[in-house]
Amino acid sequence: MRRVFVLALMVVALIGMVASQASARDLDQRTDEWLQQAKLEPYAEPTLYELALQEGEVTVYSYTSRIHDVGRMFMERFPGITAHTYDMDSPEIINRVLEEQRAGQYRADLIWLKDPPTAYFEMYEPGIIHNWVPPHVAHLIPDELKEPLMRIHHASLSAWFYNTEVYDESPVTNLWDLTTTEWRGRVVLPDIVLLTEYIATFGSIVYHADEMEQAYVRRFGEGLELSRGIENAGWEWIYRVLRNDPLIVRTTHEVTEVVGEPGQTSPSVGLSAFSRLRDLERWPDRRFGVAWEMVDPVFAFLHTNVHGFVRFAPNPNAAKLFLTFQMGDDYDFTGNKPYQVLGNWLVRPDGPVPEGAPPLAEIDYWDFDVEWVWDHYVQIVDFWTLHRP
Amino acid sequence: MTRMDARSEVVRRERWAAPRAALRWLTTPHVALSLVLLAVLAIFVIAPIVNIVVDTFTWQSGDTRFDRSAVAGEFTLFHWTRVFAGPLTRRILVEPLLNSILTALGATAVALFIGTGLAWLLVRTDLPFKRVLAPLAFVPYIMPSYTLALAWLTLFKNQRYGAPGVFEYLTGIAIPDWFAYGPIPIMIVLGLHYFPFVYLLAANALLSVDRSLEECGEVLGASQWLVLRRITLPVILPALLSGFVLCFARVIGNFGTPYFLGAPIGFMTLPTQIFSNLGMRFNGVAYILVLILITISALAVLVNQRLIGVRRSFATITGKGFVTKQVRLGWWKVPALALIGGTMFFAAILPFGLFGIQSVMSRLGVYSVEHLTSAFWLSSGETITEGRPGVLVSPVILRALWNTLRLGIAAGAVAAVLGTLIGYASVKGRGTPLAKALEQVAFLPYLVPSLAFGTLYLALFIGGFGPIPSLYGTFALLVLACTFRNLPFAARTGHATMMQVSGEMEEAAQTLGAGWFYRMRRIIFPLVVKGMVAGFTFVFVTSVRELSLIITLVTPETMTLTAMTLRFEELLLVQFSNAITVLLIAVTLVTVFILNRLGGRFGAQRSPV
Repeated sequence: MRRVFVLALMVVALIGMVASQASARDLDQRTDEWLQQAKLEPYAEPTLYELALQEGEVTVYSYTSRIHDVGRMFMERFPGITAHTYDMDSPEIINRVLEEQRAGQYRADLIWLKDPPTAYFEMYEPGIIHNWVPPHVAHLIPDELKEPLMRIHHASLSAWFYNTEVYDESPVTNLWDLTTTEWRGRVVLPDIVLLTEYIATFGSIVYHADEMEQAYVRRFGEGLELSRGIENAGWEWIYRVLRNDPLIVRTTHEVTEVVGEPGQTSPSVGLSAFSRLRDLERWPDRRFGVAWEMVDPVFAFLHTNVHGFVRFAPNPNAAKLFLTFQMGDDYDFTGNKPYQVLGNWLVRPDGPVPEGAPPLAEIDYWDFDVEWVWDHYVQIVDFWTLHRP
Repeated sequence: MTRMDARSEVVRRERWAAPRAALRWLTTPHVALSLVLLAVLAIFVIAPIVNIVVDTFTWQSGDTRFDRSAVAGEFTLFHWTRVFAGPLTRRILVEPLLNSILTALGATAVALFIGTGLAWLLVRTDLPFKRVLAPLAFVPYIMPSYTLALAWLTLFKNQRYGAPGVFEYLTGIAIPDWFAYGPIPIMIVLGLHYFPFVYLLAANALLSVDRSLEECGEVLGASQWLVLRRITLPVILPALLSGFVLCFARVIGNFGTPYFLGAPIGFMTLPTQIFSNLGMRFNGVAYILVLILITISALAVLVNQRLIGVRRSFATITGKGFVTKQVRLGWWKVPALALIGGTMFFAAILPFGLFGIQSVMSRLGVYSVEHLTSAFWLSSGETITEGRPGVLVSPVILRALWNTLRLGIAAGAVAAVLGTLIGYASVKGRGTPLAKALEQVAFLPYLVPSLAFGTLYLALFIGGFGPIPSLYGTFALLVLACTFRNLPFAARTGHATMMQVSGEMEEAAQTLGAGWFYRMRRIIFPLVVKGMVAGFTFVFVTSVRELSLIITLVTPETMTLTAMTLRFEELLLVQFSNAITVLLIAVTLVTVFILNRLGGRFGAQRSPV
């Protein structure tokens, strides 16, 4: 009997052991399922950095030379990923990417350029570039600044510059001043064929033809008579400025050089990017300033710039990591710092604001309609080609 | 053998006679070689031209901007209408065309004047220091053509374009626009760059004039000047005309100089207009302008052949006469030396020195000791360099240097080999239609201006062509472009060399049973090595200093020093572009010096054109 009891006990113990083993296994399995669901180790999805590390490098084409600083800082922050950064003009970026697509050789992973009309209609719509918004900032940025293509600063401005050595304040206050004989040969304009972002600028002058006409009346006290074959006051202004022997230059640097070179007697005024104020660091002798008094009918012109992830590019994750860093990641604003300069307004509302920068809302500027500019793109270029000196 | 058998034997022989002859013809080494070379040239010379002709008649990918309904690849006359009969015809065709012809004519006149004068002084007079001056005459040609343009701007720009130039800085005299920018400086600068070209032709012509003709005149009592005017000049006139036309065809395709000197006053030439149109991706229009440039060059060369054909009946060149007596310059030595010295100074020493000085100045336009800096050469990046490392330590620039050198070496080597083979095939088959065809096709790239040539290559090889994969962004594309662009020179050198190599030795070897490869390796090649070095040197030099040809082909990875210069010039980091130019010229001079040591003096070969 005792034997039977012991045996039974052993059987029960055995069953218990097996059962407890089973329930331990069951617990392990449930834990495992939970870990998978919770995406904790060992099921944690690789971070962007880990994915990027597998790619090992990233190639960025950017319209600004500051990209090299960003690239250097990026490599310090994320060891193991080599950033190849290239600065070139927007038309060159477009040409290169289109050529790379045609050739089937995909070099650029991420591009950042001005000239949104071309970026949208020749690259985004045909599927050559794609959008991606860094998740950590998505909720901070209004849709129009991240759709269809992501921006870092939603605005950089171009305005008129004058020589501060000769003039205490801007010698020009109305855009039509530039068409007078006083400014003949003394207006500096960027070449829109080379700096295509200015196609939108001159487009916005045509777009705001009515305001241009009113400004004319305010300047000369009489109605504007259009030249033969010219449609409206916007085109008329461009026509008259181009007929006034302007100096047309290849870069915005040259504008501040020509305007701000010291020792001039009758210096020019010129249209250039706000951020060219930085040129004063490189050339401290130069004397130029923004013509804040040039307000009729408008003070400044807006440029935007967009990012694109290039189709078939080999390093999409490293490119995402690069953009995340460039936007100022959730750690700090390091990668964003090069863009925190006077004349840029960043899309991140929580970022630092450069000293002395007025809120964009307080500035009188003309925006442009991407689709309108695209529809008039060739017309503006042709008009320029036809009437430029 | 019956009569029937004999007849069928004859029939059989006749039937196989033609194919057998064809086979024999085909297996003749120089025929087979000619055919292979023609096939290669068909791909790399003819196909690119045909390709863009087709492109001008079809919608291109960016053309939806003109016409929303445009479908890439479909037939259209749009581009031709836009160029020839649109509202922009005056701006994109007529004005640039006239400007191009005007500046090319002017520049060629300048080059002709300097080149001929120099040749006469160095060949025919007792001018001292000839041995130093003769090689110096090539220095302007070794430098990139835009170097002088940039030097001109540095010297003579005025306040219209920002800081005044060195001249105004020193003298206080303001330079008028017409002297600072536009056609006048373009002509002078291009003339100073291309005169060595004319010098070569004129010097060779002078050397080959029968001296006894001149002696006749002297015996009859004519003065030195009368002999020069009435005998020497008429005799070398065909060579001069030829030099004029060949130089014109070259100058008209120059891009860099009109780009830098024309821009400040909106002075456009065909090459700068092509560049703008390519930048906007108005490719159809750009290609038509390219075809127009090719046509002009072709016409010029055609005119040249006509002129030479006419003049030759008059000229009495009877091989080399031994120059026994040289014109005594007497006191004229002084102005002659001053003139040559002045030309050399402006064309070679001044730009080099100016760039050297500028590359160590922290602020341009202010030339004082406290602004000396080595930042643009050696620093790891400062504010004035916009954070970019100096030329000698920047990995990007050192890579560009390496690209430049290997481009020159690769293109030089391939062109020298191809040129020699073409020379061999065309000399061996002299007079046959095949040899003529080969010579003419090999000369064809001469008619295509450099910028246009690059454009052709980009258009054809970007997407792959036949068995050739896409060459976009590859180093091979640069090498191919430089090789075939300069092939006419290499082929002419090869031809001249092969003409010099006597056929007897090869025939002797053949009689002794040596095979074709053996003869080539043991007899022809050793004889032609010298010619090949000359061809190599020429192609190396033109390739390393090339901008127009490769500017549309380089990518960030294949960037060369010249393309880098343009980039820094646009960023107004002038010291960088100056430092790079100094580096480029120094490296080129050293290489040429070494090559000269290896293969005799540069230019010792007959003129490559």
